[in-house]
Amino acid sequence: MADALVVRNLSKRFGGLQAVQDFSFSVAENETIALIGPNGAGKTTCFNLITGYHRPDAGSSVVAFGRELVGLRPHDICAYGLARTFQVARPFGKMTVLANVMTGAFLRDRKVDVAREKAREAIDFVGLTARSHTPAHDLTTIDQRRLEMARALATEPRILLLDEVMAGLNPAEIDQAVALVGKLSTRGLTIVIIEHVMRAILAVARHIVVLDHGQKIAEGNPQDVVANVDVIRAYLGTGYVNLPIPGDRPC
Amino acid sequence: MTRTPRGSGVLWLGALVVIALALPLVVTSRFYTDIFIRVLLFAFIGVAWNLMGGYAKQLSLGHAAYFGLGAYTSTILQIKFGVSPWIGMFAGGGVAMLASLPIGAVCFRLRGPYFAISTIAMAQVLMLLFLKFRDFAWGAEGTTIPNLGNSPLMMQFDAKAAYYYIALALLAAALAITWWIERSWMGYYLVAVGEDEDAAAAIGVNVPKIKRHIYLISAFLTALAGTFYIQYIYFIDPNTAFSFNISVEAALVSIVGGIGTLWGPVLGTVLLEVTSALLQSWLGSGLGGVQLTVYALILMGVILWRPTGLIGVLTDAYDRLVNAGPAPAREASLDG
Repeated sequence: MADALVVRNLSKRFGGLQAVQDFSFSVAENETIALIGPNGAGKTTCFNLITGYHRPDAGSSVVAFGRELVGLRPHDICAYGLARTFQVARPFGKMTVLANVMTGAFLRDRKVDVAREKAREAIDFVGLTARSHTPAHDLTTIDQRRLEMARALATEPRILLLDEVMAGLNPAEIDQAVALVGKLSTRGLTIVIIEHVMRAILAVARHIVVLDHGQKIAEGNPQDVVANVDVIRAYLGTGYVNLPIPGDRPC
Repeated sequence: MTRTPRGSGVLWLGALVVIALALPLVVTSRFYTDIFIRVLLFAFIGVAWNLMGGYAKQLSLGHAAYFGLGAYTSTILQIKFGVSPWIGMFAGGGVAMLASLPIGAVCFRLRGPYFAISTIAMAQVLMLLFLKFRDFAWGAEGTTIPNLGNSPLMMQFDAKAAYYYIALALLAAALAITWWIERSWMGYYLVAVGEDEDAAAAIGVNVPKIKRHIYLISAFLTALAGTFYIQYIYFIDPNTAFSFNISVEAALVSIVGGIGTLWGPVLGTVLLEVTSALLQSWLGSGLGGVQLTVYALILMGVILWRPTGLIGVLTDAYDRLVNAGPAPAREASLDG
């Protein structure tokens, strides 16, 4: 299958800190890959670089469906079909769920009726219909995550970058979130997911990329990555024997 | 999503329009008409400010810049070139729009309080410039507008009621524009930008562009108010036209009435202007500062008890009386 997203030599230095260094990976169309690594490894920075929130250093290249994205601003990148969620959900608190998602839908069609229809569909998809008219700041954590996904979906992306959508969820909610990510994938989306919950990663991703100190230390299918000595030392810990562990991490 | 049935909303609006139109016919006292005109004018400025400061939360404290540019443009055109203020008014709006582009380019780089401070600076710079412009703008002395008697084509009237209706028309137009924007994609984008700029950009909102556009509209409307005010008081100088009070008033009436709501600035102006004008006339100059104290007390009260503004108090009360149920959060009801 053709590559949807190709990242080559992605680098970013903040003053004395090399946040990301010569990081390369690619995602095939309709594939789901996971980006894992310890806190501070540069995962979210990668998302910020790919989606235009930070400008990558010279030599970096991010190509989505054949189009170079480096140098574009976030809203342009979203218009090219790359949508993201944030590590800490950022709903428009005063707006209702429906209004939040409609705001996303306006990217493709400025007509209110059309946007409302599209928003309803996206809200249905993530299972938030009952909360349509609730102000976003009254939602629970998982519902806020659902809202973020619905809002991103309403922009009709082809590639979805999910930043720790499962952080702070309880085990039952993680199962729901995993099911939702699986559903997104069956819809034809290409997904890059940052996650700490190993159980969830193994359930959704067939390819894992491991980042540590801004550099890629391993990549491959889940079995190999989990057995990789470097990955165990840098991230999983030597106590990581056999699956699964309830790897939930306080947000 | 308002619980009020559509019909009753139209009814209220109709009643309001009738009252507004009939008011100068019933109340003929020049003193009260003057208060009404000021209320309408400041409500108009508040509505213009609210488009940007309320919906998009870009808290400008420099809208006097556009008020002053509008005032000076029409006055210069009138006195030096004999152009009617009716035309000068819209020329002033154009000048204000042009000025908003570079001012926005500088100020929008900053966020929050830094943005507010930079807008103050811009208005002050313009005031200082006009203090120095002796050749074509009369410098610090200012000038009076030549009185032509009753001359509607030059925006001069014997009857105060005429000014009342002009101000009313301006306010109605600004409210209609706000109403339309609130319901369109632009309203959603503005509120999104006001809530979280980064999250808005992530779903494809061109944040700098939408800020620029709403600033253009807001500046244009504010400039119209400048022309009108100068025509009404027949005098212009930099301290009047670029007065910091204008900037503050524009923000305050919206904040007190209900920021980011259609009727908030109107409600806020009615309360603040009427109270302050009445207190001033009752107490005279004997107890200087009392009306400012009351003004400040109202402000503190609203901010402490109702940070969302008086409009929230009213809609809650209305819903309790009419619908006998808890009110849905009004500011949260933006979902078409």
